[in-house]
Amino acid sequence: MNRFVRMTLAVGATLALTQALAVTRGGTLVYGRYADSLFLDPVLNDANLDIWILTNLYDTLLQPSSNGKGVQPGLATNYTVSSDGRSLKLTLRPGIKFADGSAITAQDVKWSLDRARKPDNGDWSGSLASIDSITASGGTVTLALKRPDPTLPAALATFNAAIMPQKLFEAAPGKNDAEKAKAFAEKPIGSGPFVLSDWKRGSSMTLKRNPYYWKKGADGKALPYLDAIRFEIIPDDNTRILKLQSGEIQGAEFIPLARVNELKANPKLNMQLFPSTKVNNILMNNRPKLNNGSANPLSDVRVRQALNYATNKDALIQIVTYGTGKPMKSYMSSTTPLYDTTQKGYPYDLAKAKQLLAAAGFANGFEVSCLATSGSADDLALLTALQQMWGAVGVRLKIEQLDAASKTARYRANDFQMRTAAWTNDINDPSQITTYYAIYDNVESVHTGFKNAELEKIFAQSQQETSRVKRAAQYRQIQSIYMNAAPIVFLYETPYPVALQKNVKGFVQIPLGNNIFTETYLDK
Amino acid sequence: MRATYVLKRLLQIIPTFIAVMVIVFLLVRLLPGDPASAILGDRATPEIIERTKRELGLDRPIPVQFLLFAERLLHGDLGESSSLKVPVLRLVAERLPVTLFLTVYAAVLGVILAVPLAVLAAVRRNTWVDSLIRGIFQVGLSLPVFYVALQFLTLLGAKLAWFPIGGYGEGLGGHLYHLFLPALTLGFNLAAILLRTLRSAILEVLTAEYVEFARSKGLKSAVVMSRHVLRNAMISTVTLLGLNVGALIGGAVITESVFAIPGVGRLMIDAIFGRDYPVIQGLTLVFAVLVSLVFLVTDLVHARLDPRVEHA
Repeated sequence: MNRFVRMTLAVGATLALTQALAVTRGGTLVYGRYADSLFLDPVLNDANLDIWILTNLYDTLLQPSSNGKGVQPGLATNYTVSSDGRSLKLTLRPGIKFADGSAITAQDVKWSLDRARKPDNGDWSGSLASIDSITASGGTVTLALKRPDPTLPAALATFNAAIMPQKLFEAAPGKNDAEKAKAFAEKPIGSGPFVLSDWKRGSSMTLKRNPYYWKKGADGKALPYLDAIRFEIIPDDNTRILKLQSGEIQGAEFIPLARVNELKANPKLNMQLFPSTKVNNILMNNRPKLNNGSANPLSDVRVRQALNYATNKDALIQIVTYGTGKPMKSYMSSTTPLYDTTQKGYPYDLAKAKQLLAAAGFANGFEVSCLATSGSADDLALLTALQQMWGAVGVRLKIEQLDAASKTARYRANDFQMRTAAWTNDINDPSQITTYYAIYDNVESVHTGFKNAELEKIFAQSQQETSRVKRAAQYRQIQSIYMNAAPIVFLYETPYPVALQKNVKGFVQIPLGNNIFTETYLDK
Repeated sequence: MRATYVLKRLLQIIPTFIAVMVIVFLLVRLLPGDPASAILGDRATPEIIERTKRELGLDRPIPVQFLLFAERLLHGDLGESSSLKVPVLRLVAERLPVTLFLTVYAAVLGVILAVPLAVLAAVRRNTWVDSLIRGIFQVGLSLPVFYVALQFLTLLGAKLAWFPIGGYGEGLGGHLYHLFLPALTLGFNLAAILLRTLRSAILEVLTAEYVEFARSKGLKSAVVMSRHVLRNAMISTVTLLGLNVGALIGGAVITESVFAIPGVGRLMIDAIFGRDYPVIQGLTLVFAVLVSLVFLVTDLVHARLDPRVEHA
């Protein structure tokens, strides 16, 4: 080691130490949410309002890494996959405890995973479907698999695979799992960094520090740094921002993108744009006929491609996302593992769009209608801009505004020509979005009706492919086929906009959307 | 006489209740979409939706669903929220006091604002004072509630920091403090409505012979105003106040959203968007009873102010 390297290391160590010493413990962070959680059972819920805060209450064996690309240790210190890919062995962290101080045993792990993978128990059992049986002994848990499953580590880092205390859950009142879950979720005990201490539905939720949490902070003592987090439910965007500006709250989620630049300029605030897995797009009905029996121009791939070429994404990013978005170049976000960086997407090219439309027999354009969510300023801004853009190639866009539930009902009945849509991943793996967007048998490829035999064959192989390199190659093919077929109008990716007081440090919203307060502290 | 009248009126609530019960039960089911789809969002597969519908009892024929709903209601059970998984009664018990507090607070502020200003405007009629008072409230009436709310929030909350920005607070003092701006928003609107009626009523009464007589007896003008003029002028205003308070109970939705108040108005809106049938049904029934009660009280006060009104 030469002197320069030694000196650099010494400076680095000093800096790290200074930073560690600078961490402040204690205090309550008040965080403004736009809506309250609904139901705090990890297995039986399916709403982002719950999912995005659940990991603060319930820890998992593995955790999603904060860049969204992989997993890191959680309640398990490590995992190994057997050479034939048919078994996965996890080593539990010694001395781990639930928030009530009782020990987390291998039996709790087995019971939790068995509950989560039971078919018909919640909507997420499929993520653990490759597990054949689970054996628990001492500090290890072994999962015997029906087939090799490259998605399993990511699935074990997902909220539904949270480890729960079997005894406490079973002691909860109720005749069956669903009733016990309701009772348990009123005052849940998990092993996340925080534990629920008070919940006034629709108004506020207070999480207290879990003194038994396993992870150590920069100062060598147990995390979390905060004594408590109080979520205040403030549905109105303006009010949430006013409360933040006046210092009544220290953080606010879902800042409207229109106000990001204004808050960035505020010296008291730290306007964060966390990279997300959110893709915004327009789903097209790819079927030859619409529900009313009329012919559907969107069934022609050339028409779908033409609309993609006629979409000026850079302009939309300015108009709708105020410059915060970036163009979609695959159906999955660029933050998704195995996203193919060589994808080009559809550049804005009016000449090509006209040429494709003419080839499809629509030189004079056609009329098309798109469902939008009523009251959504973003939908309206987007679609009125698209009216102008597509008007240039003769396509006349009609906007049909519906409330969310009516829109969903029409969508489920395949009774639409186009609709606005957005997606975020819940698991650090591309298989989830692929199953929904590209595989017909699940939900008819998000009801577009898109079906491609070659893509489905490659996908089936990728679901058992344990080599990451080979799986990446398969996903490159999948993304190329999908891009060519253009079942959707590719728009843009948008970040999670969170505004914090300047003294709030160490908060992160990971690309999946989970709010991580484990290492958050209030600087003096 | 009065007791039988009250009893009779209370009994009249029962058919209203039943009518509301049937209508709301059918209406929510006419809305496009259903609770299962609303809970599960866009992603759920048809199998999961079917399963959830079964769990919620929505796979049964509608008459059967209605009978089950009616049977539970007879046992005082409003059912369980399909999205929040807690009993509707508990939600009502948590949220209704908040809205009632806000409503009464707003009504009190509205009356405190309207009565003296109406008297002043009437006494100084057609002067600049009258024009100013009427002008301010005319503008207040024509501005949307959310706009007035935001102006109060920005000026009195954020800029001057006299009041907290939204929330409900703890304890009576906390509630009074936190709810001042939302109550003022609603009260301002209410005062604008009351002021016009009250001013013209006062003007009308002021020209009545018995007022002339009271004055000629040598009574002080304050006494004439409070005992003879206001009492008579208030009659129509009380009815108007009753009608508007009834509307406020379910109608404070925008105010509750802007000021982040966990009341029933917001609960109702969330329930409608979430197609939460039990919550919509339960809240509508609670509103129906409350509004009927408010109207009953209004009529009783009306009768007290105006002995000519017979309880028939």
